[in-house]
Amino acid sequence: MDERHFTTLSAEKYITSSCAISKGVVLKDGERLFENDGANAAAFMVSVYQHFQVSYPKFYKMDNLGKLGLLTSEILLKNSFNKEQYQPEKVGLVLANKNSSLDDDIKYWDSVKDIASPSLFVYTLPNIVIGEICIRNGFKGEHAFYIQQNFDADFIANQVNYLVDNDILDACICGWADFLEQEYKAVFFLVEKKTNGSSVVFSSGNMNNVFNK
Amino acid sequence: MSAPVYIVGLGVISGIGNNVAEHLASFEQAKAGMGDITTLNTIHKRQLPVAEVKLSNEQLVATTGLPERSSRTALLSYVAAREALDDAGIPNLNSLRVGFVSANTVGGMDKSEDFYVQFHADNNKGKLRNIFDHECGSMTEIVADQLGIGDFITTVSTACSSSANSIFYGARLIRNDMLDVVVAGGVDSLTKLTLNGFNTLMILDKEFCKPFDENRAGLNLGEGAGYVVMVSDKVRSMLAKQPYCVISGYNNSNDAYHQTASSPDGTGSYMAMKGALDKAGLQPSDIDYINLHGTGTLNNDSAEGTAIKRLFDPEYPPVSSTKSFTGHTLGASGGVEAVFSVLAIKNQIIYPNLRFETQMSELPFKPETRFMKNQHIKHVMSNSFGFGGNCTSLIFSAV
Repeated sequence: MDERHFTTLSAEKYITSSCAISKGVVLKDGERLFENDGANAAAFMVSVYQHFQVSYPKFYKMDNLGKLGLLTSEILLKNSFNKEQYQPEKVGLVLANKNSSLDDDIKYWDSVKDIASPSLFVYTLPNIVIGEICIRNGFKGEHAFYIQQNFDADFIANQVNYLVDNDILDACICGWADFLEQEYKAVFFLVEKKTNGSSVVFSSGNMNNVFNK
Repeated sequence: MSAPVYIVGLGVISGIGNNVAEHLASFEQAKAGMGDITTLNTIHKRQLPVAEVKLSNEQLVATTGLPERSSRTALLSYVAAREALDDAGIPNLNSLRVGFVSANTVGGMDKSEDFYVQFHADNNKGKLRNIFDHECGSMTEIVADQLGIGDFITTVSTACSSSANSIFYGARLIRNDMLDVVVAGGVDSLTKLTLNGFNTLMILDKEFCKPFDENRAGLNLGEGAGYVVMVSDKVRSMLAKQPYCVISGYNNSNDAYHQTASSPDGTGSYMAMKGALDKAGLQPSDIDYINLHGTGTLNNDSAEGTAIKRLFDPEYPPVSSTKSFTGHTLGASGGVEAVFSVLAIKNQIIYPNLRFETQMSELPFKPETRFMKNQHIKHVMSNSFGFGGNCTSLIFSAV
């Protein structure tokens, strides 16, 4: 509620959807939609893909970070986002993580000892996950990927506020996507200038509430 | 009708020459720049041909007056940018708003690689000054300082379309009356990073490359720099010389398909070429020559060729890839080939596509293989397509 005082000069922004995937659990808007705690990290990604009946064969070519980000965005947007309401140039992404593309970097480096793998090489950048989400959805707006020790909700909020308040974006997916070996965590927020039944005001506090759940 | 942007100066250095005159001679003599690796310290010596600039760092330092520790990237950039600015011969440059828009993709990586070898062996070793100018922007700043340009400086880095985008951007700065003069183009030097990266992608030909040939097997890396000097109408009227041409069209479009591959139908390439024609107010039939991106990889030439077919069929202008001479100079290629495109108009010539033997089965056209003089060249299209789907076409037109 107090956040309203700080945003009176600019458009109100709301978190109209959130999705978190970590430790074998998928949460959408705080609700547990899927659980599979027996699987290893890579197998878990495939089980999420199958459970939610995502139909995008390119998924199988992606590195783990790409798979995690794609699945989180799919579940985030499903039944929550009407992309017809937006110009492709007005939908963007701001993501961050701790381990960059290290999960894939290590696999690539292992491959170099034998024959360097082109398919691993092309994922040795953290922001590829943003490209995958944009290609999947036809988004063409501004995007950025930051590498930070911890999820910094204030920083992310500043970035998104700047983009939306300056009319650079009308909708933004923001949050965290990190993958290293068996450890993975993604928490995405859909930020729009409108409310819906489950929306909360876009603020660092409300992002932290979801992130730390 | 928006304000014209005139090209009045050219500078280029690559594996086939250290200046414009040497390039024209190499083209006429069909002299390619590829050979065994000599300057780069790599395990791929004698395995992979590259087109190196035929000057050592020591020679480049002596020529440019830059410090001995300079990255080869900055050294090559200065040689070509200096030539372009001297060629333009703009009087009272200090009284004008002058910009330097320079592209590159490797920055000071050559020096960083030297540092890394020592540092990796012993964390107390390695000269930190070797990584001080690691970033792409450092190259631009070093060269701008040496050129005495300070009004506006920026660096573009969009993979292999980098330099074309810096020319595109520079033209807009003049068109919108933000600057009077822009030196625009780009540079890249050969590094282990790029050689190993492209080798990993399995798109390097172990022989000299054969762009747009049915039996092409990949690209050869090159290095170099190319710059054009662009001026406003006001500045042009102050010059004693005639402008070479105008930049009449430009467009940047993205495939949004794959990190390192073009979409099979060349969607981004098609949109870039079509957009540049629309910007220039020209029809495909107005184009007298296309300087192809033409890397020699299976993927690029097929996608680019398909896009050309879609846009130009059934009448094709002469096309050729000058990468058959210079190799693929990556971030420099758009600038290097913009210089060639302008020279095609100035000298009414078309460059040969070397080593071409067999027409690609899916294309109804083939590249020009002869050096052609006395051609009627009014409009030239220059294609530069980069990783990340970043596709740019420029159109240069006779005045």
